[in-house]
Amino acid sequence: MISILQAMTANNTDNLMIRDGKIYLVMTIVSIILTGLFIYVASIDKKISQLERGEKD
Amino acid sequence: MLKAKWWKVLSFVLLLYTCTYGFIVKVPKLDDRMRESIRNMFFHVPMWFGMMILFFVSLVYAIKYLRTANPVHDVYSSSYASIGLLFGTLGIITGAFWANYQWGSPWVGDPKQNGAAIALLIYFAYFVLRGSLLDMEKRARLSAVYNIFSFFMLFPTLWILPRLTESLHPGGQGSEGNPGINGKDMTMDMRTVFYPAVIGWTLLGVWISTIHIRVQLFKLKKEELL
Repeated sequence: MISILQAMTANNTDNLMIRDGKIYLVMTIVSIILTGLFIYVASIDKKISQLERGEKD
Repeated sequence: MLKAKWWKVLSFVLLLYTCTYGFIVKVPKLDDRMRESIRNMFFHVPMWFGMMILFFVSLVYAIKYLRTANPVHDVYSSSYASIGLLFGTLGIITGAFWANYQWGSPWVGDPKQNGAAIALLIYFAYFVLRGSLLDMEKRARLSAVYNIFSFFMLFPTLWILPRLTESLHPGGQGSEGNPGINGKDMTMDMRTVFYPAVIGWTLLGVWISTIHIRVQLFKLKKEELL
């Protein structure tokens, strides 16, 4: 996983964040936030599906 | 279609890809101030693309309502308009943040910034209009007509006037490219993230709109108004 990321950023060393390896932190944080938001939207979707089907919640 | 899962999963996959590879993909060295912040192209610009698409769908349903007087179409139209407005607002806020770094201040009176503010105000007025009418049928009919006007106002405010004068956005008088993307600013590499990003963000907007619609329809059914 890490070697794949390093290979992808190999020709991008004029970016300070990539040289320091700090960009992976930004990337991970944004991905966590995105995933969290999607889980939230999916849970609302599930709730409305349950209500539409007439299940009591 | 509203309840199908595949396009929702696709949205997540595309956005996860955007939010990861978007930070790693090689970007061209533009000017010294821009540097890596051109990556905003994967976030700020798709907000506007998403808004245009959502407003267009809202328009289609507004016209459908006027032709059939089916209140379901009015629910679709207003829901897509509200999420379109959300995307537009996010676009203008992210644009102001970006402008602060790139152009010196969050609001520089750039023709496109002003045009975008006007376009959004016109759509906010759509909701003011809806709020002021109590009769369901009148509300649906009047707001559908106003929706058509609002959509066509997007073109002079966002696409035509900013091209005719000098603008800091790409596409202004004397600069290259179209108002969305400057050909020089986006390399082939960036396009591999940009197009999936547009699709991903738009699909997310559609997903949120459909949830809005389903909640409204459920409420109307419960009150036996449908």
